[in-house]
Amino acid sequence: MFFSIYLGLKNLLRQKRRNIITILVIAFSFLGYLFAESLMNGMEEMSFESIQNFETGNIQIAEPDYWEERDELPIKGLVAWNEELEGIIGQTDGVIGVSPELKFPANLNNGIDEMSIIGLGINPKKYNEVFQTGEYFIEGSLGTLNDNKAVIGTVLAELMDLKKDDHIILLIRTKEDTFNTIDLEVGGIIRTPNPMLNSRIVLMPLDIAQRSLNVGDMVSMVSLKTSPAMPEKSIIKSLEDSFRVKKLSSQVYSWRESAADVITLSTAKKGGAGAILSVVLLIGIVGIVNNIILSGIERTAEIGMMKALGMREWEIVLVFMVEAAGIGVLGGLASCLLGYLSVLWLVSSGFNVANFGDWSQYGIPIVDRIYGVWNCQAFLYIFVSSVAVAVLSSIWPSYWAARKDPVEAIYRH
Amino acid sequence: MIFAIAASAELTALEIIEKRDENEYIRSAVVEATMIISRGNRKIEKTMVSYTKDKNALAEFTNPADRGSKFLKRDDNLWLFFPDAEEIVKISGHMLEQGFMGSDFSFQDVMESDKLVELYTFSLLGKEVFEERPCYVIEATALPGKKVSYYRRKVWIDKERFVTLKGELYTQNGRLLKESKVEKLEEIDGRWLAVQSIMENKLRKNTYTRFIINNIDLAPKLDDKIFSLQSLR
Repeated sequence: MFFSIYLGLKNLLRQKRRNIITILVIAFSFLGYLFAESLMNGMEEMSFESIQNFETGNIQIAEPDYWEERDELPIKGLVAWNEELEGIIGQTDGVIGVSPELKFPANLNNGIDEMSIIGLGINPKKYNEVFQTGEYFIEGSLGTLNDNKAVIGTVLAELMDLKKDDHIILLIRTKEDTFNTIDLEVGGIIRTPNPMLNSRIVLMPLDIAQRSLNVGDMVSMVSLKTSPAMPEKSIIKSLEDSFRVKKLSSQVYSWRESAADVITLSTAKKGGAGAILSVVLLIGIVGIVNNIILSGIERTAEIGMMKALGMREWEIVLVFMVEAAGIGVLGGLASCLLGYLSVLWLVSSGFNVANFGDWSQYGIPIVDRIYGVWNCQAFLYIFVSSVAVAVLSSIWPSYWAARKDPVEAIYRH
Repeated sequence: MIFAIAASAELTALEIIEKRDENEYIRSAVVEATMIISRGNRKIEKTMVSYTKDKNALAEFTNPADRGSKFLKRDDNLWLFFPDAEEIVKISGHMLEQGFMGSDFSFQDVMESDKLVELYTFSLLGKEVFEERPCYVIEATALPGKKVSYYRRKVWIDKERFVTLKGELYTQNGRLLKESKVEKLEEIDGRWLAVQSIMENKLRKNTYTRFIINNIDLAPKLDDKIFSLQSLR
């Protein structure tokens, strides 16, 4: 057996050029997987962060009826934002920020054109506790969001030809379905990593939104930021228990429920990654099978000689399998090395998606750059896969070579 | 005539509105009309044929660009069909505020029911002359708790012909949102009807839509089947 292992390892060096080509085929095919995997995981992580940091917070509180129809932005089924609710949330461990919000459909009018947008009434100070929007102001700041001031995104500003201090009118419908208008002045312009905020949302003071919509102290939902040190599930359970005790009908939802569409998309993307891996494995298998068959053909006489000297079939198979395992190990190491370099670039420099159009229209809440993420498991997986594929795919051609008739094999050569 | 005017001077706001409704309410009609949408220097002309029977109406566009586009109103519901999309879409919610085929009439305006008397309280603001016609100026304010699109309306109703010559639609906070004016009246089958009117969206500059009735038949024989969803395709 040791002789077979020794011979297998020695054979690795006999056909250097072919083995190197096979190793490179494995390395580059698995490199593609590592790169795609890092990019997709990075995209997923950024999407989820974007949703939590700019749209939903970590947890949302809403009435079940509203939640069901939230995409329609109804002005019914609202939550009463009062001291009782604020008190319950304030006493819950793990909650580090609370932002009541009133979301409503509106038409933004600049005097010439009209555009359908989403109005978002917020309390700037509280909003800042939960969301990172405040860090992305190009002009003005969240502090300017008082009186009749509004904050809009760069894309919306460009579309509607608006600048800071311009006047806009929001045409809305009150809860009685009656037309009403809100006169606002553009107090700030933002450019965030979240495309929705940049293009479709007009932030405005909560009290003005409530007054204009005739909803009193009601809000659409309350967004919460939670401490990373405390599990989200336990905070949700704690809030649910408090609501049950106080007989409040509001429900608590994780950001994952808000981002269900993005999560579904992400799952689909992972399915795509699986498909890439299948292709990659196939390329590797073809390379190794090809290599072993060629080795078998070239060494027909040698195999005949080994059998004539008394080597058994399984020992010859072992020779080829060791050679294949060597190719797999070297291919895996080369994959990991190239993968490390490409993922390092992706993590540090990022991939500029702005050159490839607006990704937000495909439901991916990312602008500018996608950064990759490290996944050590993927490297380990690739290495193990490389060796396993090499060894397993060598079995059949090894048997094919080992079963040759020794007399005929020697005679023919 | 003098006696008639003298008698009508005593009418209450509600009575004036009822008389206006009596004159303007069309039970059944086939109308061929042209809609001219004006945006600055650009003008878009659309032609259509509409069929009305009680609370149902079907409008079909006939100009080349929109040929085959249809709108069906049945009671309080509105559907549209665009031949290119080959799909029937129900218009509801926020979509009702969008302009009807890009005009200054919103879908909501097209949908407006004739139950205004149940939704508003009316008061006579006074009398004015509009385009050389003596008019009653009546204000309608939404009744508390009623779901209405426009909180306040102001109408100028011809004192003699009981036809609306001008209308203003206001938001809850008192902003003038839309203004309609009649440019041409005709007496058809014994009643005065506006055959050319203009609607302006007061939130936008340099835009208006002119609506011209080219032909109207007030006694058509209409089969109820034409107001079915199947007829939209």
